[in-house]
Amino acid sequence: MTNENREIELDRMRFTKNTLSSGLALLAILFNVFFFVSIYKSDVSSYYYNILIGASILYNLIFMLAAFLASEGIKNYKVAYSWLLILLGIIQIARIFIYPMTAHAATVTIKDQVITVMETPQFVRCVVYLCASAVCCLVSAVIGFKKSSDLSGHLAAMAKKAA
Amino acid sequence: MAQLKLEHVDKIYDNKVQAVFDFNLDVKDGELIVLVGPSGCGKSTTLRMIAGLEDISNGKLILDGKDITQTPAKDRDMAMVFQNYALYGHMTIYENMAFSLTLRKEDPNVIHKKVLAAAEILGLTEQLNKKPSQLSGGQRQRVAMGRSIVRNPKVFLFDEPLSNLDAKLRGATRREILLLHKRLKATMLYVTHDQTEALTLADRIVCMSMGHVQQVGTPLELYDSPNNLFVASFIGLPPMNFFDVKVEAGRLVGEQFTVSLNAEDQATLAGYVGKEITLGVRPENIEEGGEVCMNVFSNENLGMNTLVHGHLGNSKKASDKITAKLRGWCDHKAGDTVKLHFTRMHFFDKETTNAIRKGEA
Repeated sequence: MTNENREIELDRMRFTKNTLSSGLALLAILFNVFFFVSIYKSDVSSYYYNILIGASILYNLIFMLAAFLASEGIKNYKVAYSWLLILLGIIQIARIFIYPMTAHAATVTIKDQVITVMETPQFVRCVVYLCASAVCCLVSAVIGFKKSSDLSGHLAAMAKKAA
Repeated sequence: MAQLKLEHVDKIYDNKVQAVFDFNLDVKDGELIVLVGPSGCGKSTTLRMIAGLEDISNGKLILDGKDITQTPAKDRDMAMVFQNYALYGHMTIYENMAFSLTLRKEDPNVIHKKVLAAAEILGLTEQLNKKPSQLSGGQRQRVAMGRSIVRNPKVFLFDEPLSNLDAKLRGATRREILLLHKRLKATMLYVTHDQTEALTLADRIVCMSMGHVQQVGTPLELYDSPNNLFVASFIGLPPMNFFDVKVEAGRLVGEQFTVSLNAEDQATLAGYVGKEITLGVRPENIEEGGEVCMNVFSNENLGMNTLVHGHLGNSKKASDKITAKLRGWCDHKAGDTVKLHFTRMHFFDKETTNAIRKGEA
């Protein structure tokens, strides 16, 4: 890319939104939705009567709200939302070790039959969705951070030139 | 370069109503043509036919020597600016201006350059991140123009673009359009029913009535030498006064007045001696002190001038009403009698309503 093209590309950011980062953040929400619709099962008895279930539901709501806010913020090149998205991405990865993994390792006895709370196929699905959601958050954050920094640098250069 | 030619163009709707009759026009490159006329005269229909938004029933439309009568609107390389702006409310000004080029999948960097250049021309650089709802009517109309400019079309078409603006803004935007035309040197067709816009903007005016072209000419030609009664009555504010008079040797005799003719007017009316004609006198061609008697019924002071309305002589007939635009501040009261003199007269054949010109009798 020539210098002139790079300059125009930077200048374009003054008038266009960061739709790539925003779209990735929304995609992270979508993967999280896939995750939580595949995690809950009703046939595993008492294991699910656990405070974890309530916390998980609550966190899903918080995640969706925070990710949506971040998608709007990052669309407008607000660098603070990149940090929020990094945090959300890290938490999504951490969630793999908190809930699906615990459920995958846990068993429950129903009518004298020992049943694994989360069978392997369900576990893999949940892990993939959480990972995808986390990757989307992190990539969105990195792109957003880069673009926001570039734009603020460009604006500063413009202000300097004008002065 | 963009030369536009309309040859014998008709518009007949499916219900057999004919809106435009045998329209002929040759628009030169870089010319600003104004189509003017009262509502329903076919001027917008003509513009829409040129844009490709209406089918041409008969005739040809030629752009730069190429017949584009059947060419779809999108391929005509013309941009139209509408009265209601037609901006996308959910998009920013930048996105609105870039929209047509984005649809054509042009390089975003090229689009950016074009949008910034157009915004610079129109003074919209500071507004590019705003939404249309945050702009004034004049600014929105400039955005609509900007959207046309970025396309760099061969012909710009304006369909009453200033009608939604208040009087002050209309004047300012009119001047901007004129400057824009001078700067772009583009071929433009502009439709309006406002004669002030027509006179101030046009290189040439096409005056229309009932689907027919009445006269094509420069603003001065239409004002100074109207082809017929319609053009004479439509162009000029306040409108021209008309009276039925009889031509006699060296003078015109009306019901309420007699005016003598100068040598040039006598020559013009040489073939009409003894016949009845219509006399037209513009209010600004009337001075105080002369042979015509006016009984004043109202007096409007405009500062520099005064509009004096009255009846000729003692008549109370509507056809004997006269308006004079007198110089300076006058304080004529209702009932006053004022003597008037016509400094310039226009003559029209009573049967054909066409102007009587020297050597045409």
